[in-house]
Amino acid sequence: MSRINDVGGMAGFPAVVEEPDEPPFHADWEAHVFALNGALIKRGVYNLDEFRDAQERLPVERYLAASYYERWFAAITTLLAEKGVATAEELAVDDHGH
Amino acid sequence: MTTGTDRFAPGDRVRTRATDPAGHTRLPRYARGAVGVVVERAGTHPLADDRARGLTRDAQPVWHVRFAAADLFGGGDHTVTVELWDDYLTPVEDT
Amino acid sequence: MSGDHGSTLISAQVRHVETLLEARGLLDAGEVDTRIDEVLAGGTPANGARIVARAWVDPGFAERLLADANATIREVGLSMAGGLQEQRLKVVANTEDEHNVVVCTLCSCYPIALLGPSPGWYKSEAYRSRVVRDPRGVLAEFGVQLPATTSVAVWDASAESRYMVLPRRPDGTADLAEDELAALVTRKGLIGTAAV
Repeated sequence: MSRINDVGGMAGFPAVVEEPDEPPFHADWEAHVFALNGALIKRGVYNLDEFRDAQERLPVERYLAASYYERWFAAITTLLAEKGVATAEELAVDDHGH
Repeated sequence: MTTGTDRFAPGDRVRTRATDPAGHTRLPRYARGAVGVVVERAGTHPLADDRARGLTRDAQPVWHVRFAAADLFGGGDHTVTVELWDDYLTPVEDT
Repeated sequence: MSGDHGSTLISAQVRHVETLLEARGLLDAGEVDTRIDEVLAGGTPANGARIVARAWVDPGFAERLLADANATIREVGLSMAGGLQEQRLKVVANTEDEHNVVVCTLCSCYPIALLGPSPGWYKSEAYRSRVVRDPRGVLAEFGVQLPATTSVAVWDASAESRYMVLPRRPDGTADLAEDELAALVTRKGLIGTAAV
């Protein structure tokens, strides 16, 4: 079935907003997520198509509420769990950041 | 450059699949079941739909196919060119 | 970088996962930092601008660029090989009769190896949903007014190719040196949401 990422021609989104002097990454963690994804794909933990698929499979509400790199990170942790690299519990961080 | 075994050539009219996909695909919804014109061959690559399932498949041609906005959306004077895997396309017989 | 709880939490989450992966031998120490440095150093719109300026002054280069961009950009010391794999580059030329604009409606595909990370607006649902349906409207919001006699060609990066627009050389630039010409070219011009 059509997924939430497939937005070409879809109505309802706001006007396009340009951020002046936008940095390539808005926070260090975003750059880390970008690089982490590349490293895991290069190592063959998953491929780029699986990565896109994992993003597209996020629940719609979560997908739309998340920022771009939050979606990336959610897809990475989904795949790490599905591929048996780590359990969801091992991947989780408690509220105090540990 | 096309090879003798290609299903399509530049200038051919093609129709995209109308099927609702079961999983990941790279045929956008707005271009499903539409008729366009092959612009050129754009390389070869294994089908994304299969790769997303972790399957290994042979590479197949990928085509640039140009659609008239009016045929996609019922309006607009522009064109949209989409890069589509061979498997997404069927030939259109000119009658 | 904000100090709000939201980004602090995800920072911790990302760090936690990196630490775990290093412990399991799936990530080398410093690997992430190296990759970040590489993407920021390697890709920049200045690369695209250089390609455009060369195409403006050298018609043979322009012709080769449109026929085989991957090979031709190597003539100016650039390549598409900086990412996970060498991606196919397709350069599309604006003319008086046709204006090109690029989008990835399905995600955010972009020639990062050449131009660096894409702008947020390019990744947005707002842009991706509208530009295939109403490119003239989106272009007008970006300040690009096209005459009715200029048609619009939208390219949707739905598969393996990555796209760059070759803008038209502005009038009155005949006396400019190649590096001065390159300075005229913007990232939006390379995507198609600016004239140059």
